[in-house]
Amino acid sequence: MAGFGALFEANPLPTWVYDLGTLRFLEVNRAAEAHYGYTREEFLRMRITDIRPPEDVPRPLENLESSRPVLEFSGAWRHRTKDGRILHVEVTSHMLEWEGRPAVLVVAHDVTERKRVEAALRESEELFRSLVERSLVGVYLIQDGRFRYVNPALAEIFGYGVDELIERRGPKDLVHPEDWPTVEANLRQRIAGELHSLHYGFRGVRRDGEVIWVEVYGTRTTYRGRPAVIGTLLDLTARKRAEEEIRQLNEELEARVRERTQQLEAANRELEAFSYSVAHDLRAPLRSIDGFSQALLEEYADRLDKVGRDYLQRVRAASQRMADLIDDLLGLARVARKEMRRERVDLSLLAERILEDLRRRDPQRRVEVRIQPGLAAQGDVHLLEVAFVNLLGNAWKFTGKQEHARIEFGAVDSAEGRVFFVRDNGAGFDVAYAHKLFAPFQRLHPPSEFPGTGIGLATVQRIVHRHGGRIWAEGAPGGGATFYFLLNAEEGKDAREGDLTG
Amino acid sequence: MRGKAILLVEDNPDDVLLTLRALRANQIANEVVVAEDGVEALDYLFGTGKYSGRDVREQPAVVLLDLKLPKVEGLEVLRRLRADERTRTVPVVILTSSKEEQDVVAGYSLGANSYVRKPVDFDQFVQAVRQLGLYWLVLNEPPPPRG
Repeated sequence: MAGFGALFEANPLPTWVYDLGTLRFLEVNRAAEAHYGYTREEFLRMRITDIRPPEDVPRPLENLESSRPVLEFSGAWRHRTKDGRILHVEVTSHMLEWEGRPAVLVVAHDVTERKRVEAALRESEELFRSLVERSLVGVYLIQDGRFRYVNPALAEIFGYGVDELIERRGPKDLVHPEDWPTVEANLRQRIAGELHSLHYGFRGVRRDGEVIWVEVYGTRTTYRGRPAVIGTLLDLTARKRAEEEIRQLNEELEARVRERTQQLEAANRELEAFSYSVAHDLRAPLRSIDGFSQALLEEYADRLDKVGRDYLQRVRAASQRMADLIDDLLGLARVARKEMRRERVDLSLLAERILEDLRRRDPQRRVEVRIQPGLAAQGDVHLLEVAFVNLLGNAWKFTGKQEHARIEFGAVDSAEGRVFFVRDNGAGFDVAYAHKLFAPFQRLHPPSEFPGTGIGLATVQRIVHRHGGRIWAEGAPGGGATFYFLLNAEEGKDAREGDLTG
Repeated sequence: MRGKAILLVEDNPDDVLLTLRALRANQIANEVVVAEDGVEALDYLFGTGKYSGRDVREQPAVVLLDLKLPKVEGLEVLRRLRADERTRTVPVVILTSSKEEQDVVAGYSLGANSYVRKPVDFDQFVQAVRQLGLYWLVLNEPPPPRG
């Protein structure tokens, strides 16, 4: 049988014949030699059990005992090569007579590579399946208006079981009727291939009727050979609700702020009106008191004695003092409500100008003035001027009895920033009363010694506070006074840098 | 020129008396017409009401105008006075006890010629009136009468 011999020998699949009685190899082809690593001579000394892993050996023996059909596809087996590699093979066998003895012709088909690929596929599929099944994000596959697949998360978002959705329901059952036309159009566009993928939001309806907000990211795909849409779905209801709550809270807060602002504005207007009428109405009677006292002094002087004239002078002095008090109180109120405008203020120049003014009004006085040049700060120029008028005015006043009066304006640097100071060698004060200095109407000297309303330093303190700073004083009775003040540590730094460049 | 009247718009009788005294102390002899509220002041200026029939070609040398007035307040008087052809050029001095910034700004923006705060000290008041008198009645040449 040369024909058969040639076919046997040239068959690209490993092929052999074994003795059904002894299980010995009777013949093998070249493909078997190449595949298994044994030579023909080696094969012919072996039995078919020798090419199986030891643990698989009992199986073919059992198999032998059962009666066999002539041609059999005997399924998947494991074989071992000469160098120990395990092959997965599918075997087809055929009973025949070989040199007078019952034998079996076997064709082995190596499926090791296919098995490996299948295993890898299975692994990969398990990985993705578990990802999809356990995902918190809803996953769906839609075809022909029905869900071909949904994951448990998607079912849960809408309050269904997975089995209630797959093949039983479609997107229309889960989308809010008002949003359905949009969703339907979007699905159609992707099925038709007009759009590959789409990301958008709409309202869904849960099984219990509750409306929820969802967002989908769907992509065109092919399922069972036909177009479908696969995608993911996020439940945004909680986020939307939180956003809505925040928006409402913000609105409420804004409304409250508006209301408070209105109340404050109303209070401010009332205060303005009050200040205005104080300025206008309280001064009018004082003018009458002073004016008619003066008229009496001028026109009826001959009918008054010295004591009577002295009394009238006292009436005039008192009305003048009350007028000053009203002015200073109004000044204090103005300082509190004036709008701040910050700009660079040359404090040295300001101090110089104010002291010049004081000197002009009091030309007979000899005062030594020391001003450190180039000191500047960020602040409201009008308010700072009021503060300096008060501080330098005080220094001028309280050095009035000094033979060698000296007034100083300068600055020292501290950890908090630049500290400015106004120093004089005047009457000074007792440190024990230092805390009273800045309270309105508090005076540490009798008016007979030094005139004043006791509002000046309260005004200065308010101005310093409005600049975010603080003020304090050092002094001793008869040893002069020093007023230190800081105008906002940050601003002090800026001012120092400004000095270097300017 | 010295014969022209001074219109004093002032509701406080004490202030009227003191102003008259201060004018006298400064030898200002012009006739002083006193209006006790804004309506009366406007009546005088435009020849209406109590002053109907007054020859309005004759306008005061100066109007001393208080701001806080009954009925029509000072700034409104000033506004109407400046809006009328007959009184547009009449010098107006706001004479008040307020020195609120808003009043000063409003007064000037409505066309006040000067702004004087009535001091409590009567001597200062006399001084202020003297300056007013010198400026408006002597130094300041009023525009020629119209009509």
